[in-house]
Amino acid sequence: MNTATRHETAEFGDAQLLAPIEQSGAGFRVASSLLLLILLAGWVVFGRQLLYGMGVTGLNQPVVWGFYIVNFVFFIGISHAGTLISAILRLSKAEWRRPITRMAEVITVVVLAIGGFHPVLDLGRPDRMLNIFTSGRLQSPLLWDVSSITAYFMASTVYLYIPMIPDIALLRDRGTWPHWFYTFLAWGWRGTPRQRKILDRAVGIMMVLVIPIAISVHTVISYIFAMTLQPGWHSTIFGPYFVVGAIFSGIAALLVVMIVLRRVYHLERYLKPVHFDHLSKLLLVMSLLWFYFTFSEYLTAFFGNEPTEMRVFFHKLTGPYALFFWGMVACNFLVPVGILSFRRTRTIPGIMVASIAVVVGMWLERLNIVVPSLANPRLPYPTGFYVPGLVEWGMFAGGIATFILGFVLFARFFPLVSIWEIQEGREHSIAETVERLEGYLPDADVKEAGAPAGS
Amino acid sequence: MSRWGMVIDLDRCTGCGNCMAACHQENNLAAAGAEETGRGRAFHWLRLLPEVSEGPDGTRLRYLPQPCFQCDDPPCVRVCPVHATYLSEEGIVGQVYSRCIGCRYCMAACPYGAKVFNWYEPRWEGDSRKRANPDVSLRPKGVVEKCTFCHHRIIRAREESRARDRELQDGDVVPACAESCPARAIVFGDLDDPESRVSRASRSPRAFRLHDDLGTQPKVFYLAETE
Amino acid sequence: MAKPEQPRWIYLLQLASIAWIWVFVLGISYWIVHLIRLSHELQDVPSATVGISIVAIPVFWAVALVLTYVFVGMQKEARREEER
Repeated sequence: MNTATRHETAEFGDAQLLAPIEQSGAGFRVASSLLLLILLAGWVVFGRQLLYGMGVTGLNQPVVWGFYIVNFVFFIGISHAGTLISAILRLSKAEWRRPITRMAEVITVVVLAIGGFHPVLDLGRPDRMLNIFTSGRLQSPLLWDVSSITAYFMASTVYLYIPMIPDIALLRDRGTWPHWFYTFLAWGWRGTPRQRKILDRAVGIMMVLVIPIAISVHTVISYIFAMTLQPGWHSTIFGPYFVVGAIFSGIAALLVVMIVLRRVYHLERYLKPVHFDHLSKLLLVMSLLWFYFTFSEYLTAFFGNEPTEMRVFFHKLTGPYALFFWGMVACNFLVPVGILSFRRTRTIPGIMVASIAVVVGMWLERLNIVVPSLANPRLPYPTGFYVPGLVEWGMFAGGIATFILGFVLFARFFPLVSIWEIQEGREHSIAETVERLEGYLPDADVKEAGAPAGS
Repeated sequence: MSRWGMVIDLDRCTGCGNCMAACHQENNLAAAGAEETGRGRAFHWLRLLPEVSEGPDGTRLRYLPQPCFQCDDPPCVRVCPVHATYLSEEGIVGQVYSRCIGCRYCMAACPYGAKVFNWYEPRWEGDSRKRANPDVSLRPKGVVEKCTFCHHRIIRAREESRARDRELQDGDVVPACAESCPARAIVFGDLDDPESRVSRASRSPRAFRLHDDLGTQPKVFYLAETE
Repeated sequence: MAKPEQPRWIYLLQLASIAWIWVFVLGISYWIVHLIRLSHELQDVPSATVGISIVAIPVFWAVALVLTYVFVGMQKEARREEER
């Protein structure tokens, strides 16, 4: 196929996807300045922490970690939406993935940048951060995080970028402003068969490579907690538990993003109810899996009846954290299972409610893991408490603003739905899928030969 | 090479808190103040662990003086990302204030909660900073600090004995907490010397360590109360 | 329709970007090797450090290699098209 026909089809069918880039207006400017303002306000509040020290936060003696670490785990968890889901769907040749993968990958890159920055906010001496390079200990779980998050960020950026090259080239060929920028990023793409083959092969390698990296990231984050001896943290199940939670919250975030972007950029033609239906079933499965892990985790603690474990256990179930604990159970299990199990409620508004509940619930889960274990020290000191200060709330708002800002900026410069993959779906995949389906079925000519059946 | 350890005799301890106050003076700990203490930021290298027990004659409250246990297998050292906390050859868990990045992972990992963090730049009441102990460095904001077993006193004692041209003897090194204890409940010395007082006391049938089951091998022993 | 023509300075910029990826990956590799040396020097569980780096370094290299493969492939083909 030569380049000219492809562009004409784009002009014809999918030009709508380029509208936010080529006709960006006041909406973009207003939204991005508003979000920048929130982010700036967060940083201004954070300035107090830099000036006076960590004392301006709500952290204290037993509870030495709070919102920053909770949000670190939470945001990195969300990042599993993307790359992992898009990689798994690509790998399993799920044809319905085509309009979804790009958004999923953007979530990963944006959220990873936010989450990865959180431990720096948590440092008492951010000015000494470079000590990690000069005198780091690779034996510390914190350094496992540094290396695996860096690897994940690099891999998921590449995994976002490579499948975007043909779309960038399309923008270049249309002469879209800033032209030099698209020319630079298009890397000389002409759409020749050989380039396509290279691209396919690279995407193929990346999607396989990215899955173990993504899993390692949240496993290693759970190890920060699991490698200590603290009650409620020192658990072998933590690695898979965190990964499951991460994918769970990731799918929920992806659904929220899809529903919002569908509304804002009028993507109803691309994101159809069937996409939401498939993804929400995946969310339902993850909800059940999450419940299974949570149940196993808490039952072992309860049945073992170790005094230090029980102190943490009851702190969550009936103590000061009861509201957060049962809120988490409701948000992560009761609400999504209640809504998504039935076709009547598995509508787009229903999915929106369930997804938001899961995002909130997974944030509560991170809070339930980090704080109660710290608040109940092993020695019989009084139970600690944690009330986040203005700085923590400010940076939380800033983090969410950055997330939205990331999407606003991305949508301004790149198509949110992969145009060439949609076209590929139209032009090649139907035949390919039919052929594949036929491959699953018993061979027709054996029957025609008729020897075993006839006799 | 010595392996420093401590034995605290609970039969002698009255829970007066002198050790805590002496530790503050000796090691230049700035007072956190009432407000900060109320926010859970009391600042001690040696704390009094409250222990409530129900006996036949009603509820009883007593205090265990708790310094850093200077574990032989310290969980805090394992997790430090920058070599800012380490186990010295003499078995003391040290903290390098100038290298610590303040991530507080060691505090989260310590099962005994023995470490403290400088939430603010230390505040000095009046001219108290001028009266600071010159042997102990002042800490900046944002770093973790901890009991050193009065490491500076060990250095001084060693230098003094070298000046007198003799070996370091049992009882030469006395940390501030032990020195200030009116009941002489705290014994300090070399655990590797089988004849030292601390070594003999640690082998007493009354001796126990807190949460020995964790395998951290603390070098602070308690002598259980006799009735 | 604009012809996909590419000024030389943009090509240099692209070359710089792929070079930068390699600087980054080599930097990380150097950093990890430095940490191994440090842990060996301080006798601080060097075996664990080596074990982790065996997993970490190849991942960065693999990603950079894929990116380089794409870059070289794209540019070669673009050259060929230009000559035609």
